[in-house]
Amino acid sequence: MFRRHNITARIFERQIHTPAPGTSIHRARRFYENIVPASTIYEVECPDNSFRKFTEDGKYLISFSRNHQDLIVYRPTWLSFSCKQEDCDNQPLPPKAKKFESFFTQLYSVPLASANELICKDFFLYAETNQFGLFATSTAQIYDAPATGGAIQGVPSIEKITFHLLRLEDGVVLDERVFRNDYINLAHSMGVFLFDDLLAIVSLRYQRIHILQIRDSGSLVDLRAIGEFCREDDELFLNSSAQALSSVDKRAPHHTPVNNAVNGSPLEQPAQENPFLSGIKQRLLSFIVRGIQNEEKDETMRIQSLKKKFYFHFQDYVDLIIWKVQFLDRHHLLIKFGSVDGAVSRNADNHPAFFAVYNMESTEIIAFYQPFNILQMSSDELYLLFEQYCDHFHVPSKSSPYMNFISSHSNNIHALEQLRSSKNKATSFPLFIKKVLVSLPFNCQSQSPSPYFDQSLFRFDEKLISAADRHRQSTDHPIKFILRRPPHTLKFKIKPGPEAGITDCRTKRISSFLFHPILPLALSVQQTLFLQPAVVNIHFRR
Amino acid sequence: MGSSWDVGNWPSFDPHNFSQLRPNDPSAPSKKTPITYHPTHERTLPPPDQVISSEAKNILLRQFYQRGDEKLRPKRAAPENLSPEQECKHPRASFASSSEPPK
Repeated sequence: MFRRHNITARIFERQIHTPAPGTSIHRARRFYENIVPASTIYEVECPDNSFRKFTEDGKYLISFSRNHQDLIVYRPTWLSFSCKQEDCDNQPLPPKAKKFESFFTQLYSVPLASANELICKDFFLYAETNQFGLFATSTAQIYDAPATGGAIQGVPSIEKITFHLLRLEDGVVLDERVFRNDYINLAHSMGVFLFDDLLAIVSLRYQRIHILQIRDSGSLVDLRAIGEFCREDDELFLNSSAQALSSVDKRAPHHTPVNNAVNGSPLEQPAQENPFLSGIKQRLLSFIVRGIQNEEKDETMRIQSLKKKFYFHFQDYVDLIIWKVQFLDRHHLLIKFGSVDGAVSRNADNHPAFFAVYNMESTEIIAFYQPFNILQMSSDELYLLFEQYCDHFHVPSKSSPYMNFISSHSNNIHALEQLRSSKNKATSFPLFIKKVLVSLPFNCQSQSPSPYFDQSLFRFDEKLISAADRHRQSTDHPIKFILRRPPHTLKFKIKPGPEAGITDCRTKRISSFLFHPILPLALSVQQTLFLQPAVVNIHFRR
Repeated sequence: MGSSWDVGNWPSFDPHNFSQLRPNDPSAPSKKTPITYHPTHERTLPPPDQVISSEAKNILLRQFYQRGDEKLRPKRAAPENLSPEQECKHPRASFASSSEPPK
């Protein structure tokens, strides 16, 4: 059906036509085709902060001071000025338009990090219902830390990581949670996942998943710590039985395969080196064994199968560590396992990744997927599920309904076309699966909900700009946003950096883009890798 | 039939339109009862103890559980059929099966 593009016609149509069932928000978003941030103010005079992002409800702009010790929060407002001429629309903007303060009001500046700590400027999570923000400060990283107290060898250690929970309305610090001599992946909030009021923090060093709850009053409450122990009272049970066992007999420690009991926690000997695997590792290995056992009817074939598929790789399975975690719903976690080297290296592509679905309540592993392997349960099954149900991996929660509208290949035909074409172009299917599954488990709140990134509204170059908030290589050419629907016109351009462009082509420049989720307002920040002040442009609708 | 269709009072092009319409007298309610239909058999009645509730697990988790149950259920039939593709509805099953590694 041919829809008129004229905004007045659209408004009249809105008055008389009810949208098709379930599409009222989609229809409202179509107005963003008409209201675009087409005007650019280059090189805005702004304070020398590193701007992080807009909160998902658009109420706050989060930024950190250059020395990474203070948090500064702004409220987005709008430029207002008066004009006495006749043709005001075409008059140039007043000089105050070039000031950052015309668009943003500073609410407060709170020092979060003390002397030797720094705020992790890539880390920020927003709990929308209560307008709480979660920030992290940490001391310096220590490589080659000795593996003491149950730590994994090879994972660096940070002396102190503090998570601060702030009420963003007034900047009051509500609660803190400290982790000492631990290592949590804070870059891009990779080691932490927020779902509604539940927080999952992965301690790489001690191999624990801490589940916390953010209460309405603002306190962080520990719910459980999964890793060595699965249920809350496992530790108590094991300690009490350990005392009883130590006096009974001393069996020679040996590597028994696994305890095939489904629900019982294995009895552990209080030996110095634990021959028994406990907690989630036990659950994982027993799930794998049971799966392999069930494949064969015949007893001898079963033993052969177990030898080939399990015992041969036993040490590899035992050495798996938790890399990353996300919630699938309030009780289920998607956990990514891998080797120690892969956890700390920046490029995890070369290291195989294993995925497991874990039910926190029943402490059972529901599913396990290995890298593409024709012999056993492999990642291509996980890839098929990801292809069909991508949105469910994004965990839509009731408190953030905008998540349903971020374009993914499950809710948008253009994104699906893109996925299909890259799948057909892939030279090797296992490599393609690996590349796609690298993004699982998803980083929390890493995609901008701005309608300008909606693939059914606009077409843009994904390599230069996209909903994911990562830094990109900066180009001189403006980034074009073209309408998807007829008449396929160019609606607006985003050009980072100075208006005249860069004359010095030698220095590498990176850009980041902050789009307001509701207003036609965007910031583009271009910086060089040396500590020169960033060039900030404001793109807005005049 | 009710008074809301009192179109005799509404403006129209021709004043003689709707002039023969007699509005319903509200003091004497209409004796017509709507026709009711009764089933002639009991084949479609729900079981008396049926409770309809929504599934707590979302569809993705249901898939994980289903595949996990398939793997862990002791097999009595041929062991080579590992995938439960035939049982559950896959709207793009044909697409899924065409995802062979290209040569």
